[in-house]
Amino acid sequence: MLLNQPLKQKLLELLSPEQVLTDELDLKFYSYDSSFHAKLNRFFPEAVVFPRSTQEVSAVMRLAYEHNISVTPRGAGTGETCGCVAVQGGIIMDLSPWDTIEEVDVANMQVFVRPGVVHANLNTHLEKYGLFFPPDPGSSRMCTVGGMVSNNSSGLRAVKYGTTEQYILGLEVVLPNGDVIITGGQNSRAIKNVSGMNLTKLFVGAEGTLGVITKIRLRVWPKPKGRGLAMAVFDNLEEAPQAVLDVYRGGILPSGIEILDDSAIKAINMYKPEINLPNAEAILLFEVDGNPAGVEWEGQQIKEIVSRRAIKVEWATEPERIKSLWQGRSVVATAAARIRPDGSRIFAGEDISVPLNKVTECLRRIKKMAKEYGVAVVNYGHIGDGNVHTAPVINLDNQAEVEQVKKLTDAIHRLAIELGGATTGEHGVGAVRACYATAEHGEALKVMHRIKHTLDPTGIMNPGKLLPPEGDDYSA
Amino acid sequence: MLSQLKQLEDVKDQFQKCVRCGLCRSVCPIFKEDRRETTAPRGKVFLTQMLSSGEIEPGSKVSDKLSMCLLCESCSSECPSGIEVHKLVILARSMVSEKCPSLTNQLIFKKIWTKPQLLNRCVGLLRAGQSFGLLNIGYKMGFLPKSSGLLGQLPGRPARYALPETFPAITKQRARVGYFLGCATNYMFPEVAYSTVKVLSYLGCEVVIPKNTNCCGLPQMANGELATGQQLAAHNLEIFSQAEVEALICDCASCSATLSHSRDGDLPVYDAVSYIMQQLQPDFENRRKINKAITYHDPCHLAKAQKITTQPRQLLQMLPGIEYREMPGAGDCCGGAGTFVIKNFDMSMRILDRKIANIKDTGAELVATCCPTCTMQLSYGLSRHGLNVEVAHPLELLAESLGL
Ligand SMILES: Cc1cc2nc3c(=O)[nH]c(=O)nc-3n(C[C@H](O)[C@H](O)[C@H](O)COP(=O)(O)OP(=O)(O)OC[C@H]3O[C@@H](n4cnc5c(N)ncnc54)[C@H](O)[C@@H]3O)c2cc1C
Ligand code: SF4
Ligand code: SF4
Repeated sequence: MLLNQPLKQKLLELLSPEQVLTDELDLKFYSYDSSFHAKLNRFFPEAVVFPRSTQEVSAVMRLAYEHNISVTPRGAGTGETCGCVAVQGGIIMDLSPWDTIEEVDVANMQVFVRPGVVHANLNTHLEKYGLFFPPDPGSSRMCTVGGMVSNNSSGLRAVKYGTTEQYILGLEVVLPNGDVIITGGQNSRAIKNVSGMNLTKLFVGAEGTLGVITKIRLRVWPKPKGRGLAMAVFDNLEEAPQAVLDVYRGGILPSGIEILDDSAIKAINMYKPEINLPNAEAILLFEVDGNPAGVEWEGQQIKEIVSRRAIKVEWATEPERIKSLWQGRSVVATAAARIRPDGSRIFAGEDISVPLNKVTECLRRIKKMAKEYGVAVVNYGHIGDGNVHTAPVINLDNQAEVEQVKKLTDAIHRLAIELGGATTGEHGVGAVRACYATAEHGEALKVMHRIKHTLDPTGIMNPGKLLPPEGDDYSA
Repeated sequence: MLSQLKQLEDVKDQFQKCVRCGLCRSVCPIFKEDRRETTAPRGKVFLTQMLSSGEIEPGSKVSDKLSMCLLCESCSSECPSGIEVHKLVILARSMVSEKCPSLTNQLIFKKIWTKPQLLNRCVGLLRAGQSFGLLNIGYKMGFLPKSSGLLGQLPGRPARYALPETFPAITKQRARVGYFLGCATNYMFPEVAYSTVKVLSYLGCEVVIPKNTNCCGLPQMANGELATGQQLAAHNLEIFSQAEVEALICDCASCSATLSHSRDGDLPVYDAVSYIMQQLQPDFENRRKINKAITYHDPCHLAKAQKITTQPRQLLQMLPGIEYREMPGAGDCCGGAGTFVIKNFDMSMRILDRKIANIKDTGAELVATCCPTCTMQLSYGLSRHGLNVEVAHPLELLAESLGL
């Protein structure tokens, strides 16, 4: 049901005027996230609300539930899948301004935060206590912890530290009917807890389709004191994934292993010539962290192991040098566009995950497909866990290119499934990858639908995301 | 280049290149306060895109949205896709002002601010109004904006009257340079102008200060009168080219940013502090001591627009007797941004309050900065918070230390 004037008035009774937007121009600004899908299409909400308490969230949900209005939770809008965009209209609930770090419980190694806290700000705050929240998405400076929990985000250091889900001890969630629950034990501060069903994990990665997360109990870790980085240069792409396996076999678990292929190297050098990466088929970056002596030892081991395949390996522990070696990796996501003067980088088909022993084949086939479809791409990613990021660079004004890139990204997603991988390693499904759910999950999809139906019987919670409409079968 | 900006249509590739990554949300001082996508730099890219494509019409709502920008360049200097958001805002303001002209804007920025003699008279009237307490009454009765307190007490005589057209080098001549006297320095801080000229002269520069220069052009560009601003900048640059100087020096960050980004000839434009530190390298031995704890505020138009951050700090740290204290968030905007504070006083004060808290944290007795509008804003904020902290240009301190 669409929001009519009396309902908008009701929203204003629940919240203060500054917490509600209904002006047509204001609403336009909430029609996008970072996805290509939102570049091609416009999805306008009918209202945007900014609640600042669990009670306010609950009151809005109750109203929406009574009147059958869709609600789409939103963090910083850095998702790549249209997840936080109101594809079926209704209310957008922007939680990003609600960014209080409520408590750092140092004695129990956990923190309590509201959903809008920006990841980098949380870690800056935790630094004072010698702690950190390890998952580290490339969007650290902008994305919210609520968004990270909902997308089960991860990043460069997932190899060693895993994904967001490993750190969520409990959640406060407002259900679609306005009821409030606390998962992980309502008064619990325990770290280990197997009591009851694991509802926490149900909401992590649910992309806002089961409820609104209003408070997060996060496990934090001591911040390692030492850090080092090895940069290895390869003149043959095949050697790079092999070198990664060699390092694992050598008994070393780096905190992150990143790959840049020749297209990524070119893009970075065009963006910032001073970074001056060597021309090569691939560059691997191995990050090691821990106690300084251990870091040095592991770094030397990596250097020795990787030198057997690489043409050059540099090991650095000085912060300035590490920063400059990392610089390329940290800018590549958006610097990709530089490979074509008239090109724009788009976020589509950008996040597949494949088994480690299929990474080389995957990269080769993506390059080949891109050539066939006539689309320029830049490849990089978290090779340590098989997560490949492909950045297509196209001229958005050229309709033929837009059509070709749609075909390419579909082929990339299908390649991931064919290789025994997943259509998304960390960015999520949102409105753009639900169509692959049947092929990926088979019968399990029916159970997902049943869970959704139980918690959200009227389907108001972020509709059109994560799951394909019931009964649809896109697998063909 | 500011001089090449014409219309939004010409930069439409920027709209497509914006990947909407949102990185700019993390640095925008206005977004930090407002927290809505409608004020985020990413939102401004989208707004200008809609404006350019005709999806929305220029009007007061659009104009209000566009006014929520300090042109501080924090976003542009961070954007990995190379989007110059501030330039999109300048172009969009120009488009709105063309399609829906504002008579007040035209009167102030096109008619008065382009004619030095008229501007002089207006400032004279303002000064008289201040002396007779009329401004205070006007403010109290609500005729004048809340920001009128920012002016402080206007000095008696603009610097223009006291400066000769050529000021000789008082030590062995090493260079012949032009000095650009900006409006705010001229009317509000003549002492800064005298310090700059004296220091340059002491360090071996013959300083040329042509009488017929005009406003640098930034207030016009920032307020929708782009072509007028560009003409002013070009006029100023032409005058200095004809004066056959080796370099053009400005002690106002906004003027040096505008002129250096508008020049298409060979004449280099320098911020005064960086010119002095790089080219003239003063020695600090046996100089007068300035026994003060000092911190530094980076003007956006110096740090972000011109990437100058180290030289002012070097200068301050070399001054004898000074205890230098770096402030947290030294590079954060102070919220002044020329005319922004007049149009958006409340937002400006919210941004300023953060800055003042950071200054307070350092416990410094003096804040140095290289921009007269920052100086006005900081002085106002410090007195609003009852803090007894001075604000000065680094060259005033250098002049004092050199005994000039
Ligand atoms: C340049 C760039 C680099 C990136 N790098 C990475 C990376 O390395 N790793 C990675 O995993 N991701 C990455 N991302 C993707 C994105 O940043 C993450 O998915 C991030 O966690 C999204 O957070 P957000 O606050 O922007 O959420 P949004 O995009 O606003 O929302 C994401 C989803 O979460 C839901 N949601 C948000 N808040 C709540 C809440 N409180 N309750 C319930 N549901 C909610 C929304 O409905 C939506 O479905 C990157 C994105 C960009 C633009
Ligand atoms: S302007 Fe730049 S930083 Fe901001 S969203 Fe666009 S690409 Fe990202
Ligand atoms: S120029 Fe400054 S105020 Fe304007 S959008 Fe960019 S960061 Fe915000």
